[in-house]
Amino acid sequence: MVAPPPVPATFTTAPDSPPRADPGSFRDPANRVFHADGQVFRGLGPQAAEDWRALAGAEFFGRLLADGKICGTETADPETLSANPVGQWATVLRHERIPFVSYPYEWSFAMLRDAALLHLEILRTAVPAGFTTKDGSAYNLQWRGAEPVFIDIGSFEPARDGEPWAGYRQFCQTLLYPLLLQAHLGLDFQPWLRSRIDGIEAGELRKLFGGTRRFRAGVLKHVHLHDAIQSRYAAASTGTVRAELKDAGFSRELVLATLGALRKLVGRLDWQPPASHWSGYRETCTYSDADREAKERFVAEALAEGDRSRLVLDLGANDGTYSRLAAGYADYVVAVESDPAVVDQLYRRLRADGERRVLPLVMDLADPSPGGGWRGVERGSFAARAEADVVLALAVVHHLAIGRNVPLPEVVDWLVGLLTTAGAGGRLVVEFVHPDDPMAARLLANKPAGLFPDYRREEFERLLGQRCTIVRRLELPSGTRTLYLGTPRDLGTPRG
Amino acid sequence: MRSLAYLDAGSGSLIVQAVVGGVAGVAVAAKLYWRRLTSRFRKQPSKQD
Ligand SMILES: C[S@@+](CC[C@H](N)C(=O)[O-])C[C@H]1O[C@@H](n2cnc3c(N)ncnc32)[C@H](O)[C@@H]1O
Repeated sequence: MVAPPPVPATFTTAPDSPPRADPGSFRDPANRVFHADGQVFRGLGPQAAEDWRALAGAEFFGRLLADGKICGTETADPETLSANPVGQWATVLRHERIPFVSYPYEWSFAMLRDAALLHLEILRTAVPAGFTTKDGSAYNLQWRGAEPVFIDIGSFEPARDGEPWAGYRQFCQTLLYPLLLQAHLGLDFQPWLRSRIDGIEAGELRKLFGGTRRFRAGVLKHVHLHDAIQSRYAAASTGTVRAELKDAGFSRELVLATLGALRKLVGRLDWQPPASHWSGYRETCTYSDADREAKERFVAEALAEGDRSRLVLDLGANDGTYSRLAAGYADYVVAVESDPAVVDQLYRRLRADGERRVLPLVMDLADPSPGGGWRGVERGSFAARAEADVVLALAVVHHLAIGRNVPLPEVVDWLVGLLTTAGAGGRLVVEFVHPDDPMAARLLANKPAGLFPDYRREEFERLLGQRCTIVRRLELPSGTRTLYLGTPRDLGTPRG
Repeated sequence: MRSLAYLDAGSGSLIVQAVVGGVAGVAVAAKLYWRRLTSRFRKQPSKQD
């Protein structure tokens, strides 16, 4: 079987760790993902194993795999599985490792749209070959940098003629409706998806599309009519309706027509932030040329020394300048930025460049993704996923310490904490913006005078020095910003 | 016989797909609707929806 070009692993599961069921993979009991020996496996029950054999032999599947559109997958040799939980599964698959797992509520508009388009493309390839997917969730997709990839191999099954796509409702709730919300109403969809694991209901969205808004592309059919028919047929079982649709002449061609219409609709949806957004924004990150040059050199040197890192977190990444720089020295870079418009623009550029090592994410660092779903672990919190070797925190500390009132020692603790699993190679590259810098001064001007007596370079340096060995520091030519390279001290060191 | 899908596809969500699929689909939906209507009429002439 052809697998897409490998992306280096970045997760830090220790080798030989006992098999651990993935807490996000229980909804379809026919198969389950688990982690063992630092690798990702999927156990298949008897029916799923039979479906897999058919799928693995299908021409369309091999093509999608070779094109990198589906997560690399092969049948695992049971002999090679140590402590193997294979006993309970008919077949075990081994998957390509996704470098950093992310969720739809961390994606920008264009990311969600490209994910939706890939899901549709995969179905439109599978259906003529006699296959379908059991579901249509945004969580079926992940990323290699700016390239979406379909991961839910367990979702494929042979199609039954005369049946509509079972995943359509889920597709609407987790992909189409969030896109409609943002494209037509300009509302950020992320908070909606973050707070509802099953996405947005047709009935909810319908309330936002009253009056003439109902005539916006896709709304009348996929939202209003969908909701009306849902209410009308609420008592009818899906089994009965399936049989009735088949009798009435539902066909594979009709499934393809529906998918084609969805594809056309999603392809037309777009979102651009209002121009005013950018005019206000440009001023938050200004540098002299001399500052920029010195900063880039400092960051590049910090990245170049020591071992090649697996995962770099670029916090407050903005246009991704430093994420791209870091990608030259690391296997994978996650660029975290709170402004959805900024992330969207960054994503579009990375995508155009075919960048597979930089993953842009929308996230407010003062309110990072919590755990979600069943028991709060079905979706991992950002803290649980963010195990970096290198943390870049460039011109972002003042946003947290002044803009969001996070005590300075807490900010430093948190930054160093992201490197807990990095071992000796862990590095923190942090830029402290002095209180007299115009950007910091602007933030300070919005708060009562004297609210942040600790926000001084000497204090920051003292706090950093307690937790890190400060390898190097550099004051930028403008004299209002200082860069530090620190390596975390042993965790046992007492802190003051 | 295959076991039923793990996901509740939603009856309304299955039907609306016919309408989304264009003219041929609308015909299927109309047929389904008509059959439901007439069968109900035949079976339970006195009862409401
Ligand atoms: C001054 S810019 C620095 C950009 C880049 N790191 C650099 O050094 O050139 C600060 C960036 O942090 C982002 N930011 C501010 N507060 C944030 C937060 N709470 N979470 C995530 N990003 C934040 C801003 O939107 C902005 O893009």
